[in-house]
This record gives sequence, C-alpha cells and structure tokens, in this order.
Amino acid sequence: MKSTGLLTVPSKKRKFSDYMHRYGTLYLLLALPVIYFIIFKYIPMTYIQIAFKKYNIFKTPWEMPFADKNGFEYFIKAFANRDFLYALRNTLMLNLLDLIIGFPAPILLAILLNELKIRWFKRFTQTVAYMPHFLSWVIIAGLALQLLAPTTGLVNIVLNNLGFESVPFLNKSENWVMTYIFLGIWQSIGWNTIIYLAAISGINPELYEAAELDGAGRIRKIIHVTLPSIRPTIIILLILSLGRILGSEFDRPYALTNPLVLDVSNVIATFVYTYGIRGLQFALTTAVGLFQSVVCVIFLLSANYISKKFGESGII
Amino acid sequence: MKKILATFLCLTFLAGMLFAGEQAANNPTGKKSITVEIYDRGNPGGSKPEANYWTDFIKKGMMDTYGIEVTFKPVPRWTEVEVLNNLLAAGEAPDICVTYSKPTIDTYAQMGGVLDMAPLLKEHKAELPNLWKLLGDQNIYWDKDPKTGKVYNIEAILVNNMRNSVFVREDWLKKLNIKEPKNLKEFEAMLVAFKNNASTLLGKDADKMIPFSVGVDLGWRADPLHTSFVTDSISDKELWIRGFDDRRLTWPGVKEGYRVINKWYNDGLIWKDFPLYPFGDKTEDNLMKAGYVGAFLGNWDYPYRDGDNGIHANLKKMSSPDAAYIAVECFPNNAGKYRKYLSPPVDRKVFFPATNKDPLSSLYYLEWMATLENRRYLQIGDQGVHHEVMADGAIKAKTVTGEKIMNSPSNIDYTILLNGLDLGDQDLNIKSLALAFSGVEKRYLEQSYKIMKHDARISPNYNVGIIKAEEGMEAALKEKRNTFLVQAVVAPVADFDKIYDSGMADYLQSGGQAIIDERTNLYKEFFGN
Repeated sequence: MKSTGLLTVPSKKRKFSDYMHRYGTLYLLLALPVIYFIIFKYIPMTYIQIAFKKYNIFKTPWEMPFADKNGFEYFIKAFANRDFLYALRNTLMLNLLDLIIGFPAPILLAILLNELKIRWFKRFTQTVAYMPHFLSWVIIAGLALQLLAPTTGLVNIVLNNLGFESVPFLNKSENWVMTYIFLGIWQSIGWNTIIYLAAISGINPELYEAAELDGAGRIRKIIHVTLPSIRPTIIILLILSLGRILGSEFDRPYALTNPLVLDVSNVIATFVYTYGIRGLQFALTTAVGLFQSVVCVIFLLSANYISKKFGESGII
Repeated sequence: MKKILATFLCLTFLAGMLFAGEQAANNPTGKKSITVEIYDRGNPGGSKPEANYWTDFIKKGMMDTYGIEVTFKPVPRWTEVEVLNNLLAAGEAPDICVTYSKPTIDTYAQMGGVLDMAPLLKEHKAELPNLWKLLGDQNIYWDKDPKTGKVYNIEAILVNNMRNSVFVREDWLKKLNIKEPKNLKEFEAMLVAFKNNASTLLGKDADKMIPFSVGVDLGWRADPLHTSFVTDSISDKELWIRGFDDRRLTWPGVKEGYRVINKWYNDGLIWKDFPLYPFGDKTEDNLMKAGYVGAFLGNWDYPYRDGDNGIHANLKKMSSPDAAYIAVECFPNNAGKYRKYLSPPVDRKVFFPATNKDPLSSLYYLEWMATLENRRYLQIGDQGVHHEVMADGAIKAKTVTGEKIMNSPSNIDYTILLNGLDLGDQDLNIKSLALAFSGVEKRYLEQSYKIMKHDARISPNYNVGIIKAEEGMEAALKEKRNTFLVQAVVAPVADFDKIYDSGMADYLQSGGQAIIDERTNLYKEFFGN
C-alpha cells in the first residue's frame, strides 16, 4: 500500500480511491451482514421501549404513552407476579444444572473420541453422536413420551418385566429435571464435541512425542497436553454459556412439559409465551425480556473480566 | 475471481430485495377480494380445509353473486386463540375472523384493532335480509356495548344447545349383566366391575383396561359430574358472576366432583398417563378406538363423530361388532335432578379486524353464508353422495371419504354463523339430527339427545360490555386451572384438599377474584340487586 514515491505524492483523495479499489469488494461483502444486523437486530431494538409504555398494537413505540409509575409499572407488576418469580428460579436452576452437568460432557466425549485408534469406528461414533442435534424438540418430546411414560413407555415396560417399579421419569418434578438435563445432553453432546475435536486436532503432535519420551502414559498425556491445549476453547465456550445463564430456550421446556411438573418447567420463555403471546400482555413480557437480557449481559461481562484476570484471552 | 464473486453475491441480494418489493406491489387491485378464517382440525383422512370441494363451492357462489374473490386462511382448531393472536398482532389476520374467545376480541377492540360493525349493520340492513332472518337482532346485537352502542362482533347461533354426556360401553354392561347406572354410586360400582373383570372384557389385553378416561382439560372432562355437586337452588346471578370460566371452576361445589375423580385415580380406575398428553392429542381417542376405555364424559356426540375415521366405527372394527358407547344419565344433584347447565345459545363470535379494508364485502359474505340454500348445501351436500332422504323427509348423512369429505360434522367450520343442522324446518331438524352421523345407529344419538335436554337449565345473557379484569388473563388462568386440577386429581387422597385449595387460592389471587369482583359490581350497576 505504501507509495513508491518515484512519481507524484498521491493526494488524499487518490489514496482513498486506491484503498477502495483494493479493498472495496471486501467492504461490499461486509455490507451484507451489516445490513442484516441493522434490519433484523438493531431496528427491532427500538421496540424495547414497549417495556416502559402502554402498549397499543396499532401505534409505533414512539407514539405510545408512558406506563404508570414513571414507566416502570410493568417491571413492578412482573416482580409481583408469583409465576414470574418461579420462572426466574426455574430458568436459573435448569441452566445451572445444564452448565454443571452438560458443559463438561462434550469435553469428555471429545477426549474419548480422540483416544480411539480405529478410524472408522471413531467416525461412526461421532456421526451417531451428533445426529440428535438435527431433531427438533417436538420430536424428542414425542420420543420421550413413547419411551418414558409410566405405564405405556418402553423403558418402564422393560423395568416392570424385570420386576422393578415404574420410574416416573416425566411426571415427578425431580425426575423430570433429570430427564430434561439428560435429554439436553443427549441432543447436543455430539454437536458440541466438534469444536473441541477441532481444537484437539490442532495440537502439535511433537508435544505428545515429547511427553512420551518423558515417560507419560495415556492419562498423563490427556491431563498435561490435551487439556491445557484446549483450555482457551473451553474458556471461551464457558463465557458464552455463562452469558446464557438467564436466557432460556423455548421449545425444549415447552415441548417436554406437562401439568404435573409445571412447578419446575415454567421458565421465562414459557412465561413470556403464556402472558405475552397468548395473553396479549406485550408490555409486561417485554419488561421481562429486557430484564433477562440485562442480567445476561452482566453475567457475560463479568465472566469475561474474570477470565482476563486469569490470563485468558476472553471474547471482548 | 473473488471480486466477481463478491459483486455477484451483492447484486443477487439487492435484486432479491427489489423483486420482493415488486411482488408486494403487484397485488391484484381492482377486483374485490376477502380472506376468511377456517378451522383446521387435522382430522385423519381429511382434506385441506382451505382448498377442497366445499371451498370451491363457496368461492364460486361468492364470485357469481357478488363478484368477490374469497381466500381461506387455515387456523388450527385446538390452538385457534394463540394462532389468531399471532395473526392479529402481525396485522395479518383474515378479513373475517372467527373465534370462541370473547376476551381476545375485547382486548383487540380496546386497542382499536377491531372494526365497529354497528354503523355498517345499520346502513346496510336492507341488503342483508338473510343474515337477519338467521340470527335476528338477538344474536347480531348480543354483544352490543350497553354504553357506547358499539358492536365488535356478532354471535353465531347454536341450533342444538348441547354440552356433555356420560358415555359407557354398552356391550360391557351387557356382558357383565350390569344395568345402566342411575347415580354416582352405581356408576362407581360399574367402574370397579370393569376393572375386576378386565380379563373377561379384554382377554389378553387385560392390563390395558381403563375403566374411566379423562384428559388434561379436566374442567371439561369432569362435566357433568362436577356440576352435580352444585346446589340446585343456585341463582342465575351467581352462575353468571362465577361463570367467566366456561369450565365452571369457580362455581360453588364443583370441588367435590374433582374429589371423586381423585379417589378413582387412586383406586386405579383412571388412565394413569393422562397428564402427559397435551390438549388435542389423539392418544386418548386411539385408546377408545382400540376398545380399552370403559367410560368417559365428553361432548354429547363425541364418540359418534367423524364417520369411518371416528371412534364408533373404529371401535366396532378393532374390538367387536356390538361394541359401542351409549349415553347414560347418572349424576343427580341435591334436588335429585340430572341438571345440565347450558350456556346461552350462542356459538362462535365473528368479527372484522381493523385491517379489513372492505367490511361491506365481508358483510356480503356473511349474508351469503346465512342464505338458506347455501348453508343447507354446505350442511348436507349432494343427495346420494353426502346424504339420503328418508321416507319422512329426514336427511340421513352418508359416509364420505376422499375429496368430498366433510372435515367437521355438517361442515360447521364453514357455516360460521351456524352450529348445528338447520334445514329451515324445525321438525325436519330434529328428525334429521339423529341421522346426521353417518354409520351410527339412530338410537345412540336419540338417547344422548334426550338425556341432554332432560333437566337442562340455560343461563340468560347478561350484557354488561367489556369486563376489564378479564383482558389478557384468559390464557394464564386457563393454564393455572388445568395445572392445579390435574395435580390435585393425581395426588394421594390425603393431599387432595391441600393441593386443590392452594391451587384455587393462587388462581383467585392471580386474577380470578378480580374478575368475580368486577362482575359483581357490573351486575349491580346494570341489573340492581
């Protein structure tokens, strides 16, 4: 890009057009995602105001009058609503369990897969493990019902025939939570290993050779070579998961729920659906959504800050 | 190469946007067209509700009579309120909307999203003679606001004002030599007998026996058992004030009905897995078809619906030729009467959203639909194909499959102003009603009909305008109701009171009490004490 200086000194204008000539197409390419974000992410954000306003479907958010109590009416209403408080608790509980149990699972699987020496078996296992990722939760819920229902579910029929009592996988709150977590792991474990496997395959083989020369066995190699090498990946994914700690999926709890376990399956997303979309209380549920987003951002930033403190790269 | 690719990508994107814009602008203008909501029942073997033999008939009729093009927009029957809400919120609701949910209409009307039909109806009354003939001032102005005079919706007419019957397996009664139960005690004894004789009745499938079946919509599926615990002397006022929930949750006494079901559940008389299957799921129907279910409460014609695909026909096929459900009357109240509490004879509510740019065309659609020969054809179809004419003039429905199938009994989903067979002659109606269900012997329907009309009590209409406390609460309250009822019913007998009472307290505190209070005040305001 530097001018050779032999001819004239290029004017500022000239410099710009040279620059554009060189990189213009890249900017053109960048324009697409930028337009996408503006149209589908930034413009809709103006509707966050609904949380502070008296909602009317036929006015723009700028025209709607402010809600009572300096606009905070709906926040007060939400926190006075028992269902919302339960939803908040359940969202935290389910996501924390997902994090504690669900987060390490793909790391373990990735390491196990990496240790497999038979190539075709490794490939096959990997493919089978990530297939469930492509099933929608509605289908998984249907499968769960067929397999886990107390009297007609296959698993319970087998248990009964072996002389055991039926296990209420779906119709008792505590069991339902475990079923929920387990199905979540089953659905996403294979897919999530892909990133770790990619990170593992990027490890310099010389490190393993060196470790072997030093007399390290298989376990030692995993602990001292594999895990430290994929640490940055683990940290970044952990930060991202922490950012979702108050976020909630909708289809997973909604598809799996039933009236008997609503005390643990009612999460923020289903609360928003019941009150907002079915009950038409858009302002109330936007307030809930806004609260949820703010808490998520706080979690994300603090996780990022902590990881930087510990010398990791972070994401921002 | 990269440059070319990038430019190409961007150009395609821009071109795509341009064309999309053009398409939107290219909408046919000039010609009059309306969109109409149609329920999609997803019935097995059914046709596409928005494009089939009947929609072609309607489209042709509207085009020939008024030169108006009609397009149908399907909305799933069992989630109609949710889907309609989404459509209304997105501004994409059909020009003519149909729903059973008055609160939905009220909520949107408050925001200015529903058209006031009053001026239009007044101005064009002369052009709508059939509409008036069918519905009369009563149904057209049923929901007219008593203060402002606005009409946001008109009420369809309910020809056969029915509710639930008690159904039991007729062949099982015969096999076990049990008489039709006449009271709760006998009914319970019958359920126990079904259970104890499972191997006689079901052979190798004995472990599949379900003496009594319910679903997650317990408020409906406990009717009329739970209302038999309501004292007979209860006033219309009380029934109305506490009647906002159409499952009668807040009526005094119904709790005892649920207590009975709770006992049965714990005695192993009820389908154990029912709480896991969502509303509208077909698993329970399949259990009935397979012949495992001994008794249940449901719509007066429930087992007889859907012809060849219905419960009645399949039960005979899969179980035995004499297998059938028959309606019985067995829950007398404190006065010894077999009360059936019926709502006022209105049905679906028809309204025009504010996005309707040509409400007159939509009114013409209603007029066309109210015209006897049109709705008559929709209800009974062609002679020899959909029905036969009996010697006494009664119309007997025939089983139809394939493209001419009716997706709903008598095509009620198309006759949006009318629920129930109306041939224009009262005598003929009653004679034909029992024949309206193809493949079902007349006596089954006659019995259910007779029972339905016996000791029936119809609530009057109290029009007080919009009830503010009800707005936006229907879905949340409904969910609460279903949840705690199911939890209470499956609880151990000792815990029933605790769960029911805390569920009810939560229900009242979350909005139920506010509605009762507002209704009490409005009643005082308009009708005194």
